[in-house]
Amino acid sequence: MEVRAIREAPTLRAREVDPDAALVAAAREEPRMFLALYDRYFERVLGYARLRIRDVATCEDVTSTVFTTALAQLGRFRGDGSFAGWLFQIARNAVRDVHRRPTVEPLPLDAAGTEPDVEEQFLARERVARLRAVVCLLPAEQQHLLALRYGAGLAYDEIGSIVGASPGTVRVRMHRILEELRRRYPHDD
Amino acid sequence: MTTEELERDLRTLAEPREADDRLRLAIRTRLGEQMLVRPRRRPRPWVGFGWAAGVAAAIAVAIVSLGWPGGSGGPSAADAAIIRHALRAIALPANAIVHVKETGAQNGTPVAAEWWQQTSSPYALRMIKSSGGLDVESADDGTTSFRYDPGTNTLVEKPASSAPALVDPIARVREQLARGDAQVAGKTTIDGTALYKIKLPTGVIGYFDTTNYRPVYLDNPQRDGSVVRTRVVTYEELPMTTDNAKLLSVTAQHPDARVSTNAGGGPVK
Repeated sequence: MEVRAIREAPTLRAREVDPDAALVAAAREEPRMFLALYDRYFERVLGYARLRIRDVATCEDVTSTVFTTALAQLGRFRGDGSFAGWLFQIARNAVRDVHRRPTVEPLPLDAAGTEPDVEEQFLARERVARLRAVVCLLPAEQQHLLALRYGAGLAYDEIGSIVGASPGTVRVRMHRILEELRRRYPHDD
Repeated sequence: MTTEELERDLRTLAEPREADDRLRLAIRTRLGEQMLVRPRRRPRPWVGFGWAAGVAAAIAVAIVSLGWPGGSGGPSAADAAIIRHALRAIALPANAIVHVKETGAQNGTPVAAEWWQQTSSPYALRMIKSSGGLDVESADDGTTSFRYDPGTNTLVEKPASSAPALVDPIARVREQLARGDAQVAGKTTIDGTALYKIKLPTGVIGYFDTTNYRPVYLDNPQRDGSVVRTRVVTYEELPMTTDNAKLLSVTAQHPDARVSTNAGGGPVK
């Protein structure tokens, strides 16, 4: 087997194999192995939540919910798609639940807020607020794609496997979303 | 504003923050607590009901406090623990580099392969194959494939059609150990090293160091009935530092090489 691997070394592609499959199988057998999956996806899920939810505490709650739900439901993950796809579907549902709750999230155009936060170190408050507000006005599907790309930092092909589209289609959709954002979010510095 | 500026601002919204490590630990602790109450998938029928709860509690405490993965008592449980240890020993952390070097022989010719691969997207990798004194070095950073020609000190580059996945030489061992039907076939000593012998589902025999559970040898059955042994000379996980990241880059390894674009040619091999 490994001799064959040496011989076939230039064949770098194995895209059909879920890179998390071994860890998922191990976690089913031994729950503690789930922590390796947690370490692998913590920052991505948190980034995803941050792009979709303004409130810091709610972001953290959503991130925690995603992983506790994933651990509890791992036995139901059938492996039809990728683990990442399954995990981010949980994240998407968790965000949806938050948005269904009244008064937890400020209305999009209220996003300027008054509480100081770390983002001030990087962007002027107005700019952050405007960008958040514009993102919140997008349809949920487009927010999901944006969060997968710029929050979770996923590549187009990874997003494609999650949303069931080709990388090219994802790229085109993302381009349209960015164009829409650019129209609504002019940079006037 | 440009698309790049917009993308930068979007990424800024999701940037890591100082308190993230605290949150990471808090959620990890919560998951650990959840594992304590989560029923095990495979109850062990040979455990008597009267003291099963006590044993389960002891195992659960061990899981959290010592990192020990599971039960003890019977031979099958011990074997399962060995397999879990072996799997854990080669489970890859995120945001790191896995470095593997294997040696073996094909048709009497010594061969070797050395891999460095990123364990998170885009799974950039560099590899060197050696056969009969001839080295072939190639790499893929997720967007571009490279092949290095040492004879002319030339790098041939070509746009990658898709990003690589994790294909380090031990990936298949990981998959097979995780399938759950690997079997421990005893202990042995090779060249003074004590090893667990584990039969993998495909018929490959893996020999794992009894001290760190890392694979040391792999016996590969051939169609003609012979067995070819591969030695895992190196298996290590490296942190993703600036210096280590250069191990993934063929351009960093050969900074003075001439670059040739293979835009119209075949795939880089």
